[in-house]
Amino acid sequence: MNKTFAVARWEYVEKIKSKAFLLSLVLMPIIMIGFGVIPTLFASRADTETKVIGIVDATGEMTVPLAAYLDENYKLPDGRPNYILRPVLIGPAADLSEGKAEADSIVFRGEMEGYLLIPPSWEEGVDYKTQNVGNLKVTERLLAAFRDVVVERKLRSRGFDPSIVKELTKQVDIRTIKISSNGTEVASGFGEVFFTAYVFMMMMFFLVATSGQLLVRSMLEEKSNRVVEVLMSSASANDLMTGKIIGLSGLGLTQLAFWGIIGTAISLKFGSIPISPLHVALTLIYLVLGYLLYAAIFVAAGAPVSTEQEAQQITSYLTIILVLPIALAMPVLENPGGLMVRILTFIPLLTPTMMAIRIPVQMPSLTEILLSITLLGFSAACMMYAAGKIFRATILMVGKRPSLSELWRIIRLP
Amino acid sequence: MLTAAKLRKQFGPVLAVNDVSLESAPGRILGVLGPNGAGKTTTIRMILNIIEPDGGTVHFDGVAFSEAVRNRIGYLPEERGLYRKNKLLHAILYFASLRGVHAAEAKRRAYTWLERFNLLSYYDRKIEELSKGNQQKVQFIIAILHDPEYLILDEPFSGLDPLNQIILKDILLELKRQGKSIIFSTHQMDQAERLCDAICLINAGKVVLEGELKEVKHRYGKNAVVLEYEGNGAFLSGLPSVKAAHVYENYAELLLHPDALPDAILPELAGKLALRKFEVLQPSLNAIFLEIVGNAGAAARAEKTA
Repeated sequence: MNKTFAVARWEYVEKIKSKAFLLSLVLMPIIMIGFGVIPTLFASRADTETKVIGIVDATGEMTVPLAAYLDENYKLPDGRPNYILRPVLIGPAADLSEGKAEADSIVFRGEMEGYLLIPPSWEEGVDYKTQNVGNLKVTERLLAAFRDVVVERKLRSRGFDPSIVKELTKQVDIRTIKISSNGTEVASGFGEVFFTAYVFMMMMFFLVATSGQLLVRSMLEEKSNRVVEVLMSSASANDLMTGKIIGLSGLGLTQLAFWGIIGTAISLKFGSIPISPLHVALTLIYLVLGYLLYAAIFVAAGAPVSTEQEAQQITSYLTIILVLPIALAMPVLENPGGLMVRILTFIPLLTPTMMAIRIPVQMPSLTEILLSITLLGFSAACMMYAAGKIFRATILMVGKRPSLSELWRIIRLP
Repeated sequence: MLTAAKLRKQFGPVLAVNDVSLESAPGRILGVLGPNGAGKTTTIRMILNIIEPDGGTVHFDGVAFSEAVRNRIGYLPEERGLYRKNKLLHAILYFASLRGVHAAEAKRRAYTWLERFNLLSYYDRKIEELSKGNQQKVQFIIAILHDPEYLILDEPFSGLDPLNQIILKDILLELKRQGKSIIFSTHQMDQAERLCDAICLINAGKVVLEGELKEVKHRYGKNAVVLEYEGNGAFLSGLPSVKAAHVYENYAELLLHPDALPDAILPELAGKLALRKFEVLQPSLNAIFLEIVGNAGAAARAEKTA
């Protein structure tokens, strides 16, 4: 036990001092935040200047209500109107081409963002013409405005009072509320649940990927600088392996804790975290057992390796196995109780991720939880046993990698 | 007392170690000799429980290998290696902690040994900045820092300059006086001859010669002749009373047939060589090694061609 601890401490302290680790520690959140935040920042940033939209209105009757709608609903933060309608051609006209040509030239001069073209046959559709077709926000808002105006107009032509029309066309929002068995109702949207599941999944992924790679790398390093033989004479293969796994998982956990603090801080700033301590505890059990299973696989696959190239191959294969459950996450989120999902839950390699997704969305039954924990724990223990044997038999090997049948023979040895 | 009995190890089709038995008592040095690939390192690794033997037993004072025994063994592997990026003292202390030596005590001992090996000024350097020979000395320190009763050294002298070889030899003799059981493997026969109390010669996985050094040499009788001369000594190996000859530029060692008399070859030399020295003595370990391993090699070759 002392030796395990000595190895664990060495692995932890040596790696945590390394520049590569410190860099990834700081860089990763920056990249993640960058990916997550910057695009939305750009996309949803409120306009700071009033935009001029032209209008060519063959009916002559749409311009005023449209302008009123835009003025009423969309304001800049400082209170000025967000959009101003600039009439280019209003009223019945046999030929709209003149108005179009004029409006086009105004757009080209940069005096208007674009213009709305309402032909006499407007019920078949209207055009919004602009140089910047990617600006979905303007298109969306114009569509809403136009729809509103049209509905109101139609209702009024059927003799409805304008105030009743307003009442009738008022939009109702739908809220999503999660019901839990203990009766509490928590307002939580798909976004929040998805976010929680996503966070757990990513935690699992990064813990395993980081520690797993460090494991393979550390074994390879000791193999290639020949330290391993001295180590093997000083401590048993099991002490060495366990120490490595503990030390490097400590490293992964340090990383997670650091990122977790940043993540929690951000979440608290922007809203609540819809998870209970029970969720966290359960998910952590799956996380730890799942980590042990994967770590054992990394050891078994990494111990026989003797070149950098092979090590890279091995870690990239294993990372693919890790990504697989993430790819399955979407269907699981949509139907957490489905048969397929239940089956996937009992494949040990997938159990931790599946459960990490299912728990925040819809708590699985107690039987399922107990059974899956037992199965996962059992396979982790078996894999650890096999990895210990392979580690001991192959850590001194240099050169040709043993075949699968050779590895199988090693595992079966008494 | 370290006892290995009938150790066996098979690697695929190759029987790397075939019923090797050896023994090392406190205060004695056993030399495990043999050509490259004879099975010395595999035997040593089995004694240390680094690889599992296919057959045979290893006992330390009558007890089979256990985790408790592990801390009483010191090991210097043949393939030298250390953490390259770490500071010298830091790495030494890590291995000491693995062997259960308390940090303060380990530090004290580390400084003592570093001083003896003239490495004290390097203690805060990274290992990769050290020369190969110095790295090897560090490894030796790592092997003995926990004051083991059993010391197993695989080729301890290779890679050391003559000065450091003397330092190492003195330390080994000192450890021997302290009552450690020491096993070291080598293919440098002169080192073995100067240090060992007993030898065990392994060839092709088998023990081909073993026993007390004196007794072994005695067994080979007093029928070796050493010559120093000027001239061409190539003809020496063809003389009728010579069983085997190792001829160098100005030096030759001749092993005579058991019944041949040393003086009988003197007349044969007259006029052909300008003799400077003619000495009758026991054959060197080197000559014995060459004879046994050479004969075995010749026999194996003959078997193959037959």
